Amino acid sequence: MKLKNTLNLILTLPLILLFCACEDPIDVNLAEADPVLVVDAWVNGQAEDQRIFLTQSQPFFDSVPLRGVKGATVQLRTLMDTYTFEDNGNGEYLWNPSPSQPQLGQDGDDFQLTITVNGTTYESISKRNPVPTIDSITFRFEEGNAFFPDSHFAEFWSRDIVGPGNTYWIKAYKNGELLRAADEINIAFDGGFSAGGNFDGVEFIRPIRDAINPLIDDEDNGGFLSPYVNGDSVYVEIHSLTNEAFFFLNEVAIQTNRQGGFAELFAAPLSNVPTNIVKTSGDGASVVGFFNVASIATNGKRFVP
Amino acid sequence: MKKLFLFYLVLLTLSTAPIITMAQEKHTISGYIRDMSDGESLIGATAYVKELGSGTVSNAYGFYSITLASGQYNLEFKYLGYQTVLKAIDLKGNITLDIELSNAQTKLQEVVITESMEDDNVSSISMGSSRLDVQTIQKLPAFLGEADVLKSIQLLPGISSVGEGASGYNSRGGSVGQNLILLDEAPVYNSSHLFGFFSVFNPDAVKDTQLFRGAIPSKYGGRISSILDVRMKDGNNKCYSTSGGIGTVFSRLAFEGPIVKNKGSFIVAARRSYIDVLAAPFTDVLDDGAGLNFYDLTMKANYKLSSKDHVYLSGYLGRDRFMFDERQGFSWGNATSTLRWNHLFSDRLFSNFTLVYSDYDYELAFGDTDRDKFDWNSNINSYIFKPEFTYFLNSDNEMTFGGEAIYYTFEPANAVGVSNGNVQDISLDRKYNLETSVYIGNRQTVNPVLTLEYGLRFSSFRLFGPGTAIDYGEAPRPGLRRDTVSTTFFGSGKTIAEYSNFEPRLSFKVQLSSYSSIKGSYNRMAQYLHLISNTTASNPLDVWVPSSNNIEPQIGQQVSLGYFANLGKEESLEVSVEGYYRKAENQIDYIDGADLLINERLEGDLLSGEGRAYGLELSVKKDAGRFSGWMNYTIAKTELQVEGINRGEWYSTRFDQPHNFKIAAFYELNKRMTLSGNFVFNTGTPITFPTSRVIQRDLPVIPYNANDSRNNVRLPNYHRLDLALRVDGKKEKKGRVRKNNDYWVFSFINVYNRRNAFSIYFAENEELIADNVLPTEAVRVSIIGSIIPAISYNFNFNCL
Repeated sequence: MKLKNTLNLILTLPLILLFCACEDPIDVNLAEADPVLVVDAWVNGQAEDQRIFLTQSQPFFDSVPLRGVKGATVQLRTLMDTYTFEDNGNGEYLWNPSPSQPQLGQDGDDFQLTITVNGTTYESISKRNPVPTIDSITFRFEEGNAFFPDSHFAEFWSRDIVGPGNTYWIKAYKNGELLRAADEINIAFDGGFSAGGNFDGVEFIRPIRDAINPLIDDEDNGGFLSPYVNGDSVYVEIHSLTNEAFFFLNEVAIQTNRQGGFAELFAAPLSNVPTNIVKTSGDGASVVGFFNVASIATNGKRFVP
Repeated sequence: MKKLFLFYLVLLTLSTAPIITMAQEKHTISGYIRDMSDGESLIGATAYVKELGSGTVSNAYGFYSITLASGQYNLEFKYLGYQTVLKAIDLKGNITLDIELSNAQTKLQEVVITESMEDDNVSSISMGSSRLDVQTIQKLPAFLGEADVLKSIQLLPGISSVGEGASGYNSRGGSVGQNLILLDEAPVYNSSHLFGFFSVFNPDAVKDTQLFRGAIPSKYGGRISSILDVRMKDGNNKCYSTSGGIGTVFSRLAFEGPIVKNKGSFIVAARRSYIDVLAAPFTDVLDDGAGLNFYDLTMKANYKLSSKDHVYLSGYLGRDRFMFDERQGFSWGNATSTLRWNHLFSDRLFSNFTLVYSDYDYELAFGDTDRDKFDWNSNINSYIFKPEFTYFLNSDNEMTFGGEAIYYTFEPANAVGVSNGNVQDISLDRKYNLETSVYIGNRQTVNPVLTLEYGLRFSSFRLFGPGTAIDYGEAPRPGLRRDTVSTTFFGSGKTIAEYSNFEPRLSFKVQLSSYSSIKGSYNRMAQYLHLISNTTASNPLDVWVPSSNNIEPQIGQQVSLGYFANLGKEESLEVSVEGYYRKAENQIDYIDGADLLINERLEGDLLSGEGRAYGLELSVKKDAGRFSGWMNYTIAKTELQVEGINRGEWYSTRFDQPHNFKIAAFYELNKRMTLSGNFVFNTGTPITFPTSRVIQRDLPVIPYNANDSRNNVRLPNYHRLDLALRVDGKKEKKGRVRKNNDYWVFSFINVYNRRNAFSIYFAENEELIADNVLPTEAVRVSIIGSIIPAISYNFNFNCL
């Protein structure tokens, strides 16, 4: 995650300045393993179509389209309601809002997810947590330095909800395109980086506010380009998370954000990301993936100097 | 402290013991063995009684003592690379005999030079122990031309490392945090400059390095894997001298000389990296107060108060600084000081009292305004008092006893975060600890065939308040985070957790013939501090944590057995085969996604398991002649078993190397040129590879091991050849010996340009994304990816 990224940069920059580590893409053989069921159940409380994806894991190097799992039943339940996701083909299960069910529950609702595939049942629970509003988005000018030319940086302003243990995923879109790279996963625990940090009720800390800026390599001159220029738009969403979902994304960031080079000296060993989905009956494949019901706050701005 | 008092009682008893034994008309020859040229005491020099065919060796301060019946004796004083001194003695009463040996390098005529301690390998009881003197370290090809103590250690048998650039070393399958590194008896918590590329020991100020990885005498404790005892030079007590060098990375300068001739001396040695100075004109990265440097200062002074008393004061101060600008950056460093007082209660009872202060700290700051910033510093302080005694009972028994009290404070995080002007103190509690131990040991020559060394150490450890103890519940399943059940506050001085351990040590030697012996040893050791690190190489931010109500002390046990022989012409080839088996309890591992930095609930993220390691070390060494060097081959295995990792099955550690082969060779081309080389081969270390990919919306491809394996694949084998040529300046000028010496070292690391894999990582390659399919790749990282040449110039001006 971000603190880790920053530390990695701090730890390795001196090395980069002094020596050069070499990286070569190579061919390796990987052990075989049975496919597992991959559940992608990131849904939210917006009044719009919601999708859950069921796929099979593939060998790591298989760059082929995902193999969807068809014919499953997928249901979400709260104390009051049942939401049924219909098989839409190719592993996609779709729920449409209706006048009687305009959205998935309310803030504070507990949800249960039940998936049945060929007689095997998988279950998970999540809670729809509240999300703070995004008060504003601002742009800030900074004079050029060793890494950036004269640049414009975007910053979003929002304050963590008071009380310990509020967790969020901040997604940023530049000109409609999601910043989805491994080093762009932007999550917050009580406005800070991690649970141990003991922050609470603060404005999201600066590195999190700043993480909505893409790092664009300057191919010609080295360093980076200004993240935003005249006419660019930025759109920010804060998704509320359960703590389990925060730890999952934190692990995803650690496992996927491999900066290579000297950073490998201080890289954590490869380990499996956690899951909050359990197999409750049947002898089907084991399961990975995650279930979270988010509330979403949004804000956007176009940069006009 | 009661235990220490008991030892004083023992001491009193022993001071009266000579009166009783005196009845047999025995007398003691004792004194110091020193280098004639600069007065440096010689550690491990031999005083050999020809008539008895046995002798003794000088201790860490150069002191020796032999007690013999009245009579005529011929004593031989020997030290590797020095001229042997013979003394005929008519022993009628106690004699003080200080000896000065002359270094072979200053020889003009043919005299007897001890070119190899021919029988030391076979006749000494020590096993699993290696000594490296600084001359040897300086001859080895060195990374960027900088002679380095810790890198040289890695050429010894049984020693490995996870890869280039990794700090510390692994001894017989132990982790980096299981080695106690002592610099003049002060513990060094982080022995690296620039992460792991260089070590903190300045070779100009180091006299002697001894590594214990097998039989560990009872006077050492606190870590379960190995002890590296680095001793600093005392300083030239005859005349003022200076030495130094200019290398690719460091410039070094040392100055030494007498305080009062033959009574006291000092040495001051400094190093500083100058990459920032050289780079400054070419880059603006280093403007705005940015800095990139590391330095160290090593100092020592000693003074002989009387014939019975000698005091030593030594200190080390070193720091690495990496600053992006005035406010943001990262720095770490060690500061140690040691005050020692040697006192001779009698010519058979040598004592040393040591006071040590050691501090390790790091500091991290980012945020370029006061409204948004993060400042974090952390430190470990230790205060140590260590009395130790050596009692030379008679020519067959040498007793050592003493104690150690260490008071530690740990400050894991003194940290402040500011977000948009809102200040949050996110500091963690300090931790207070006391570790005490007492020990006694004896080296006994039972008969010409059998020698024993046995001892017992009793150690105890206490974590006390003020502080909060957290109790954790069971994990939902092994390998997951344990949640807090309750917290208890303990007032100042109240015990939070307490542990104690008996640590027996035993070794034996059976002399088979004048050129061969069998040795064996057993030791049990306890370690109360734990290095918390889940990255491939240890880094300066890794925290040390004390044992607590949740973390039990690590216990290590080792048995080893070896055969030692001197073969070849004049028995100049030292050969040994040693096998060992190690078992370790309470080994720390981490849950997936463990949060190790500034986390008051850290202990809930730790797992505990068992370790085992076994191996066979084969070593061949040749000290004498124009062609010298050594060859070591180790076949070994080191594994861990931790509930919640690798399906609960045994797995290889990240530094496990089944085959490890290394050669260091030196060849004197002529009087002024020495060619040296080393070659290293080892099996690739294990690493975890994924089997599958997992896709989640809006996230990169997640590598996944569906078999839940840890360290299931090996990196390609590692091999590397390094060469160096040392060219000495002329030794003589107009037929007279020059006072000044200088030499150039030309070194080439990784001569045949191999890209050894440090690791292989798996990631999505964003540049290759097409048709909505996310391509992935495996990437090999080599830390040293090409041949690295370097030049250094070194000089010393003797007796200015």
